Amino acid sequence: MSAGDLLSTVGPPFLLLNGVIILITYLTLLERKFAARVQSRVGPYRVGRPHGWLQPIADALKLLLKEDVVPTAADRGVFNLAPLVFLAPAFLMYAAIPFAEGQVLANLEIGLLFVLAVSSLEVVGLFMCGWGSNNKYALLSAMRAVNQIISYEVPFILVALVPVVLTGSMRLQAIVDAQTGLWFVAYPVLGQLAFVGFLVTTLASENRIPFDIVEAESELVAGFRVEYSGMKFALIQLAEFTHLFGLACLGTLLFLGGWRGPGPAGLGPVWFILKSVTLFLLIIWVRWSFLRIRVDQILGLSWKVFLPAALALLLAAGAVVAARGGGGA
Amino acid sequence: MPDPAARTVVEYGYGGNERLVMNMGPQHPSAHGVFRMILTLEGETIVAVDPVIGYLHRCHEKLGETLTYVQYPTIASKTDYVAAMTAELTYVRAAEQLGQIEVPRRAQYLRVLCAELQRVASHLLWLGTWCMDMGGALGGGATMFLYCFREREMILDLFEALTGARLLYGFHQIGGTRYDLPAGWAETCRETVAHIERRIEEYEAVLEGNTVFLVRTQGVGVISPELAQEVGVSGPLLRGSGIAHDIRRAEPYSAYEDFAFDVPVETAGDCHARYRVRMQEFRQAIRIVRQVLDGLPEGPISSRPGVKSVGQVKLPKGEAYARVEGPRGEVGIYLVSDGTTKPYRMKWRGASFSNLAVAGHILPGHKVADAVAILGSIDPVFGEVDR
Amino acid sequence: MPDGRAVDGTVWRTMRTAAAAMAVTFRNLFRKPVTVHYPDAVRPYPDRFRGVLALTYHPETGEENCIGCRLCEYICPPQVIKVEMLKAEKRNYAKTFFLELYSCEFCELCVQVCPTDAIIMLKTFDLAVDDRRELLLDKERLHALGLEFRPSWATGTGLRAMQAPKPKSGGKGPAAGDAAG
Repeated sequence: MSAGDLLSTVGPPFLLLNGVIILITYLTLLERKFAARVQSRVGPYRVGRPHGWLQPIADALKLLLKEDVVPTAADRGVFNLAPLVFLAPAFLMYAAIPFAEGQVLANLEIGLLFVLAVSSLEVVGLFMCGWGSNNKYALLSAMRAVNQIISYEVPFILVALVPVVLTGSMRLQAIVDAQTGLWFVAYPVLGQLAFVGFLVTTLASENRIPFDIVEAESELVAGFRVEYSGMKFALIQLAEFTHLFGLACLGTLLFLGGWRGPGPAGLGPVWFILKSVTLFLLIIWVRWSFLRIRVDQILGLSWKVFLPAALALLLAAGAVVAARGGGGA
Repeated sequence: MPDPAARTVVEYGYGGNERLVMNMGPQHPSAHGVFRMILTLEGETIVAVDPVIGYLHRCHEKLGETLTYVQYPTIASKTDYVAAMTAELTYVRAAEQLGQIEVPRRAQYLRVLCAELQRVASHLLWLGTWCMDMGGALGGGATMFLYCFREREMILDLFEALTGARLLYGFHQIGGTRYDLPAGWAETCRETVAHIERRIEEYEAVLEGNTVFLVRTQGVGVISPELAQEVGVSGPLLRGSGIAHDIRRAEPYSAYEDFAFDVPVETAGDCHARYRVRMQEFRQAIRIVRQVLDGLPEGPISSRPGVKSVGQVKLPKGEAYARVEGPRGEVGIYLVSDGTTKPYRMKWRGASFSNLAVAGHILPGHKVADAVAILGSIDPVFGEVDR
Repeated sequence: MPDGRAVDGTVWRTMRTAAAAMAVTFRNLFRKPVTVHYPDAVRPYPDRFRGVLALTYHPETGEENCIGCRLCEYICPPQVIKVEMLKAEKRNYAKTFFLELYSCEFCELCVQVCPTDAIIMLKTFDLAVDDRRELLLDKERLHALGLEFRPSWATGTGLRAMQAPKPKSGGKGPAAGDAAG
């Protein structure tokens, strides 16, 4: 294999991965500043004045230099492998997400299915973290997490299928193309309900407030990641944020018209990032505005409210498409 | 009403109870202080709770015997450090009761003013920390926490202009108060109080009707009136369970009979009822503050000269019990004097001590997440519990 | 409720209250933050601020005010002050004066009892050190602090005057408005 071939095979994923990591790192700063302003304070300020621009780098360096503590009684293999198992699916999601017309690492026919399937693998890594720590708090948290994430994956998938039904294809590019005239979120009733359902189920499968019983800092301290320190902790944090942003990107593609926006086609990726970050900010805003729901209430909500609602929504979408006489996949 | 069946142990099919003994505290982000609970869990449900206190024991009652009457009021604030004014007030009232010492009218009004402002500040801290516990230190709860503290800081600024200190004031002395109002303080106080009243409306808008909040607080941690009286709780816990007992009404002290205010009472007995009681207490406290500022008489602020020597106050032999309606409930001091400058015995009745005792009764049957909400609605301060 | 019931109330009510909560937080985005960027910016301290302690000199004669009477030592609740008196012809002085600032509870009782207004509190709390022993203030240090920082309003005579019972002149007592505010 020639050098040129090697470059063209390895290059794009390398660029994508690094780009995503840098973006995610600065999204953590954005979250902190946004949260601070909501709370009448300033947030990171001193490191890289005046807006704390160097704060993410300082945090990364700090975590690199920390001691890596492995509890004596922990299951070493599982404990050490868990952050990687948690991280890999988060990055893998980005392989199938298109950033602009034709710019995608893997233009899969079943793009959406791939993204959803891979993002569901997170829960394995999470449980490995909790189990490998050999710690009651971590175990309790991991159990709650498995419960919650699995319960919310089902309505999540059903709601994500609504744009698929309206488009007639699972290819993410095709879904965005189908939003040329009208974004799916603007569809009367159907679109808005699906969008809201998407947001709520994203919050739940991401363990974000109001569904963050998994970490519940005030009860279980750090939950499943309580025994992790140093770079492993950094990897877990990175994985969580990457996953969250990945779902925000997915939301943009499915409901907000992807890279469509006024201006030349070259601005596509800019619009995409802008919309994804807006969705991300929306999730952060929700985080800082709500209290946490208790775990049995979360599960009850999922199975008794969201699942039937998502099913009904999907059926309604199917009925609309059938009435229109188009699509069908 | 709590379901008795919820407290019985359920035998699982696979050979015995899958019980987990979990330790919460004493260092814990939401233990409200140094408090240790040894919880026995079945899954997520608490089956038994073993509370352990004493981590903050600092021998206040012994200190009361070794320090004279003029020295101790500054130390008294350190029991209930969140509501230092009412803690000091209790001690000086006990000494004044023993020594039959008169307190000038202006001093009484100033005491009421500070006690009510302190009530607002203490409840702001309660609201902030309670929402933080229910919402996570870095989650939505922190927003309420920072908002409440932003307002509490304004009251602390008022106290700082008045006494010079922000948390532990040393404002009271036997015979009256140590400090008088500086120029312009009354105006600032009125503005602050009006501002806080508006902000409380905002906070209620965030919480009231918020489904998540209601689901987490209604029906949770119900204290029946019988249990409340049996254990001896006081303050918002008692009034949240339907018993209308407020010391400011039952045995008015320090000119409280001059002021018109309501005593909010709720009957549900759950966390939500106690929340409503405290939110109403905000408004009533602000109402009293305005009345005090409007009717503040001129005059001296102390009936005895200011402290000039350590043995200045000698109380006759006898004993007295003085009680004060603090933000957490009945704070009391039982003082026994043998005629010298130091008490023979001083006993604190801490409001949080009795309030916390109810936790062992109501926690079983709830989930772990409820434990946090219930503890927050009890609002213990461990300086009072452990003394 | 401690059972598995789902969220009560209509979906509409849930969304409405959710929107109300988010509106409050959103409105706060545009309010000025309350952060004071210490140490670049310093909060203004009120006149009566009870900060670090210091010993003073007489403003006219330049002599030390402290007469070594030890009243502050006796009144101090945590007993952090230790004074030795030095007898001299016209008046007494303090031979040594130690104040353990790390144990001081800043209650201002020593300021209140001082008959000569020798010990006062300053409008600063900013005395961070690396070694706790540096917080054991001796007489030199206390005098130096008194010259370095601005004093608070409170002096022994001032406090006692404020607290005095009805004055013999029969007029208004030391009521609101007279003390520095």
